[in-house]
Amino acid sequence: MRPGAAATARHLGELQHATERTAPSCALSARPAWAYGSPHTPTNNGNTVITTQDLTKVYRTRDREVTALDGVNLHVREGEVFGVVGQSGAGKSSLIRCVNLLERPTSGTVTVDGQDLTALAGKGNDKRAGRELRAARGRIGMVFQHFNLLSSRTVLGNVELPLEILGHSGQERTRKARELLDLVGLADKANTHPAQLSGGQKQRVGIARALAGDPKVLLSDEATSALDPETTRSVLQLLRDLNKQLGLTVLLITHEMEVVKAVCDSAALMKNGRFTESGTVPGLLATPGSELARELFPVGGVPSAPGRTVVDVTFHGETTTEPVISKLSRTYNVDISILGAAMDTVAGKQVGRMRIELPGSFEDNVVPIGFLREQGLTVDVAAVAGSPGLPVPDDGGRRGPEDVRVEEGAK
Amino acid sequence: MSWSEIQPLLSQGFLDTLYMVGWSTLIAVLIGLPLGVLLVLTDRGGLLGNAPVNKVVGAIVNIGRSLPFIILLIALIPFTRFLVGSFIGPTAAIVPLAIGAIPFFARLVESAVREVDKGLVEAVQAMGGGTPTVVFKALLPQALPSLVAGLTTTVIVLIGYSAMAGTVGGGGLGSVAVQYGYQRFETSVMIATVVALIVIVTAVQLVGDAVVRGVAAHRGGAAGGAAGASGRLARLGRGRTVAVTAAVVVPLALIGYGLGTGGDDKQTLKVAASPTPHAEILEYVEKNLAKKEGLKLDIRKFNDYVVPNTATESGEVDANFFQHKPYLDDFNEKKNTHIEPVVNVELEPLALYSKKAGDLKDLTAGKTVAVPNDSTNEGRALHLLADNGVIELKSGAGAEATLGDVTDDKGLNFKELEAASVPRALDDVDAAVINGNYAVDTGLNPSKDALAAEKVKGNPYANFLAVKDGNQDDPRIKKLAKLLNSDEVKHFIENKYKGGIAPAFGPVGS
Repeated sequence: MRPGAAATARHLGELQHATERTAPSCALSARPAWAYGSPHTPTNNGNTVITTQDLTKVYRTRDREVTALDGVNLHVREGEVFGVVGQSGAGKSSLIRCVNLLERPTSGTVTVDGQDLTALAGKGNDKRAGRELRAARGRIGMVFQHFNLLSSRTVLGNVELPLEILGHSGQERTRKARELLDLVGLADKANTHPAQLSGGQKQRVGIARALAGDPKVLLSDEATSALDPETTRSVLQLLRDLNKQLGLTVLLITHEMEVVKAVCDSAALMKNGRFTESGTVPGLLATPGSELARELFPVGGVPSAPGRTVVDVTFHGETTTEPVISKLSRTYNVDISILGAAMDTVAGKQVGRMRIELPGSFEDNVVPIGFLREQGLTVDVAAVAGSPGLPVPDDGGRRGPEDVRVEEGAK
Repeated sequence: MSWSEIQPLLSQGFLDTLYMVGWSTLIAVLIGLPLGVLLVLTDRGGLLGNAPVNKVVGAIVNIGRSLPFIILLIALIPFTRFLVGSFIGPTAAIVPLAIGAIPFFARLVESAVREVDKGLVEAVQAMGGGTPTVVFKALLPQALPSLVAGLTTTVIVLIGYSAMAGTVGGGGLGSVAVQYGYQRFETSVMIATVVALIVIVTAVQLVGDAVVRGVAAHRGGAAGGAAGASGRLARLGRGRTVAVTAAVVVPLALIGYGLGTGGDDKQTLKVAASPTPHAEILEYVEKNLAKKEGLKLDIRKFNDYVVPNTATESGEVDANFFQHKPYLDDFNEKKNTHIEPVVNVELEPLALYSKKAGDLKDLTAGKTVAVPNDSTNEGRALHLLADNGVIELKSGAGAEATLGDVTDDKGLNFKELEAASVPRALDDVDAAVINGNYAVDTGLNPSKDALAAEKVKGNPYANFLAVKDGNQDDPRIKKLAKLLNSDEVKHFIENKYKGGIAPAFGPVGS
């Protein structure tokens, strides 16, 4: 179990205690509000800012081919923070580099802010970026895992570099660069050199530099992977603040679930060059069988005895304030054992997950499970007595929201 | 030699070295830097990934780097003449020096630029920067410390190369060391020159290191962190000052010097000569006799035996004085030149010396005899041995007889050495055939110590003054010829060389 994800019985007790007091205020609805597109995130009504269509990237060496991207369809909406998670080698790096054409895709298209970048790229083997593509890149900020600051320049000089490329005058550059350093909280470090900064400070310079072209989109390539947990939190907080204050759309790639949990509105899981799941974070959490949800929010616990049904229940949105477990127990007169439970904040929202055990087989528990679903909870039958391989029954309309896809092979 | 004699040699050598090295470094940087960057950019996976260009440039650089400098020096003569109008003198030496240094510096630039983190290139590209931006804002500034270190190495290599510039009359400290120290056994000159070279190389290295520290000081790494900000600033300032001062002063000084060496007097007779004894004899003439005749001499010293003739043929110099008839005949035929002898002046008789044998009879089977290894001197040496019955030569063996022409070696072993090295080997062999000038320089007395010596009279190896055909009647040449065969010169040669070099005046036989 992940550190910090575990909740004690005391937490749950508090949760239920709190929910009992406010319980009647919330009417049940057939489908939870977020299922129509989350009202809690700025993604609502958002235009798509980054789109990739059937993006593939194949690296050819003399004697073999490696498919890094295998038909990726990415949709990042305006103003959201979108995280692509995956292990190293999954193709995340190739994906983010294809978005600003640092890597030339083998096929497929990339559209950023309405502009088809793949159409701007030169033809054939000519690797040079033309004027239009360079101008488009200037409007896309990018931060890197290893910061990639020039040691030959001061902090101010580093932030001025993109402004030089954009052709700003000397005074204008300095003014803007100082403004940006102020924004990331490094106004006092303008004249030092990167070598004298800590990792977190270096990444802040990297972020300031990425913002120099007033980008609509920020690409973050494992920006916190070289940082310690505390610095990671503060850098992520900065990204979140910039996202909120400037309406900046952020596409980040990471191998750390914590990053997704901390800042992402939407996420995709990448394996072998494909997205196996993608959607809003609450949507994913509400999707039975979602691997991302399980990774984001693992709960443990093994059945206490044979002949019982184990059910994973996810609370989010208003449901976190509902005393559903005690209601269930009272209404159906069943004894419920809690095998494991966790509470956490995901994308700024309280989310709870609980693994409970009901006596009897799945058939015996169809009605209580239906009740839980009616309460707007995501219910995942983890293990059923007597028939461990039994698929989750499809009750139609109880699936996750439309924008969540769980592709074959994801489970 | 006394210090007062050495000092002008040193200061002239120093100026020549500075002039040649300074200019050739400047040119090597101007051309080598773009080449090195191009090698990185056109490499596979590089920004301009272009395999054909990369292969061609790489091949040119490799060819340039594999040619021994001395070969390059000679091979480039036509090109040098085309470029600067002449192929002798310090200015002309700059051309081969620069061309030798360009590929060397280009490779150093290539490796320095390759060291730059690829992430920085990616970052600049992500900002919308094109290739020029990547090169000028990221690659070169980031590689600056390594580039300066590479420049330091290049300058030092050029100082080494410039020692060979004596071949084309470039002068410089290195050739002073070779001419006086090696060929004339003036140990004091050699030590002084070597010390001067060590001082220069050390100074270059120190300045280079200081500049590297200056530019790298604030970039972190081992040194950066510990020092305080003020210390860093001070060092940065000092590094920059040194760099700027050097960048301004050195070229100015060089330009000034280059202008100073210009100037061409029509009256002056330019004569190419080997440093010893030819140039010395000419210097004696110039100092003591020429003025009275209204003759001005410009004496150019060459260590090489090819360049003085080609320079005479092309009119770079008016005359030369370093060779004998068999050599000139061969040269004229092979190079299709038209050099004609004017008047014989001196002979450097070959003689057989020994520290172990008191008599020719002592050279019995199993003994070792050293002989010069160049075709002319070896032929002369073998003829000397044959004339004295030490060996037998094939009948009809010519002037350039080799060991292959020996029909009976009487059981002797032969060691072939460079003519100037033979006297040094005397202790290690039983006997050696040594050129007269080298013998005298090592303290041997040809008239007393030789077991056998060449005859002066009728010797075809007498050295003469030579001109391009048609110039024999130039009044200045006539004056010089007369002075070279004067009694004063006869006394000068006899007194100075004590038999190692003998006056051999008169017309040149055919």
